[in-house]
Amino acid sequence: MNSPAFFVLLALVGYAIAYWGYGKWFDRTVWKPDPKRTTPAHMYTDGVEYFPVSKYVLWGYQYKSIAALGPILGPFVALQYGWAPALAWIILGNFFIGWLQDYGAIMLSVRNQGRSFGPITYEFTGNTGRATLLGFILFYLLIISATFIFLIARFWNIFPGAFAATMGIILTGVIVGQLMYRVRLGVGITTLIAFVLMIASFWIGTLEPFQWKVSLGENGAYNILFWSTLLAVFLYLASILPLPFFIQPINYVSFFPAFAAVIFILLGALITPFTGVTLAQPAFKGFMGTSGPMYPILFVSIACGAISGWHSLVSSSSTAKQLDVETDAHPIGAGAMLSEGLLALASLAAYMVLSQEEIQALGSNNVASWVYGATLLTRPFLGWMGENGMQLFYATVLVIFAITVQALITRFWRLVSAEVFGDSILGQKHVATLVGLLVPLVFANTGTWSNLWLYFGGSNQLLAGLALMLITIHLARVKEPSQFTLVPAVFMIVTTLAAIAWQAYDFYRTVVSGGTKVMAPWDQYKTFALTMDIIFIGVGVVLFVLGLRMALMTLRAYRAARAGTLGTAPTAATGDD
Amino acid sequence: MFGKKKGETEAGQEKKGLMTILKGVLYGMASHGNVTAALRTRMHLEHLFMFITLGDMLGIPVLPPYYSLRILPYAVPNIESWKQRVFRERDFTDAIY
Repeated sequence: MNSPAFFVLLALVGYAIAYWGYGKWFDRTVWKPDPKRTTPAHMYTDGVEYFPVSKYVLWGYQYKSIAALGPILGPFVALQYGWAPALAWIILGNFFIGWLQDYGAIMLSVRNQGRSFGPITYEFTGNTGRATLLGFILFYLLIISATFIFLIARFWNIFPGAFAATMGIILTGVIVGQLMYRVRLGVGITTLIAFVLMIASFWIGTLEPFQWKVSLGENGAYNILFWSTLLAVFLYLASILPLPFFIQPINYVSFFPAFAAVIFILLGALITPFTGVTLAQPAFKGFMGTSGPMYPILFVSIACGAISGWHSLVSSSSTAKQLDVETDAHPIGAGAMLSEGLLALASLAAYMVLSQEEIQALGSNNVASWVYGATLLTRPFLGWMGENGMQLFYATVLVIFAITVQALITRFWRLVSAEVFGDSILGQKHVATLVGLLVPLVFANTGTWSNLWLYFGGSNQLLAGLALMLITIHLARVKEPSQFTLVPAVFMIVTTLAAIAWQAYDFYRTVVSGGTKVMAPWDQYKTFALTMDIIFIGVGVVLFVLGLRMALMTLRAYRAARAGTLGTAPTAATGDD
Repeated sequence: MFGKKKGETEAGQEKKGLMTILKGVLYGMASHGNVTAALRTRMHLEHLFMFITLGDMLGIPVLPPYYSLRILPYAVPNIESWKQRVFRERDFTDAIY
């Protein structure tokens, strides 16, 4: 009982029931997938976006696309209430809500000609709904970018060799791109070369000359600014360079160490009864945490791993277009989501084995707890790498998880900007990229990571709630049971709006009391700090208003769908919306 | 004798099936996204090619008609799929992956 393995096994049983029990029943009762019904992959085959793909390939693709920093770092924020509430949310959230959304998003798109969320939102809520979603996604992208930029910069700062190792992996990716696309070397041999280069990168990171320690300002006050600016240069290149020569091969090579780390930690957690690693954290610490009350903060702390709006975007934008038969949607959508829950559990296990004192001793670097926990869990079989080597490996893996997703997000921001701002200067590729990096850079350097994380979690979970509402509207329109998705949708929307409101109020309360939530050293510039606090309040208010507006519009659409007055085909926007 | 052979085949098939699953999952995780991104890049380049060669069909004479006509037999088989892709409804949420 005093071992993390017990709880991981408990969750495995819970997820098995979710998949084979509740999942199959839900499938038969609600979606009723028909293997004979033609999917968009067959109906609109173009060999580019629409084509049938094996369910195993799509499962791998879906899992890799949804598993990032969320399930790894979220449990750490939730740990302020103890590990038991975090564990309960990871298991129950995924059981009743998480997989339902991922699977539902795929099915919703499949049953709507493979269209993604933008057009479906337009169909259900009109042009205003789509514009609101677009605005919401813009803010959402800024917040994610700020959070990820901050975390990467922080990890480079804490682990001196991680920057060299990351650069080594990026360079490996660039070389792999050249070998594959220019030299046209086979994938097998190129991958082998990549393996050798990546191992060399990790090894180089452990060498003293490559452990670059930066100390800018008093006690390294400006270190984050330095590292985040370096990162912004990389992200700028990732946004404007052609995909096949930069992001694509980097993502390809990054997959291997990242996946290996997940397997190692899961294995480490499962063998704890034999390795003697025990729980060191209290199960419950109280209803009031450092970030606020358990409800609603816990539910936005652990975003991916329990439920995530990002997944619905991935599911509808690509997976649904390549689904061979409808019956594949359950193993792909539900299977990948429940597997991501396991990643969250493994990460939680890595925090559970660290004591309060150990985490407190890390001070402002406590965000690196996962690295130390993962090292502790896997030391019995990875000890040959040395303490330093293991820490560097996990720190670099965290950076890789974040940097590969962030590169795509920066690029996506550029594309969304082109859509929103059209031919104006803000839609221009270089300007859009610069704006998409400068704003998060300012946020990352001023907002503390837990504040950024809660805004990120709030907007991400709210997106999930809205996705569930779209699924519910569709089910109501086709006269299928909609209560199983309506209840989770309402719960998620209310909870996340409450969390965003709490966070904005928390900023407001601090400002009113004469304090600031802006991070050192920027808090010493009073006017600037106040301006940033007000901007953060503004971000919260905008997210709240956009989310609420979207929620009301989807609710109206749901009522129309129930009444049978919602159109069955895309309708033209009216002049007044 | 036949039974033994059958057993061997089943075991072989099972092994092959497991390998197919593993290869599929690994390919999906490591490469599928890259492959679809490469296909999309090619699609955009093909759009450009078709636009240049058959621009006069749309009233935009990019290439002198002489050259357009020389290339026409090679471009004709792709016109249908080109039209299908170009006319397809696209949205910003399609551009995530």
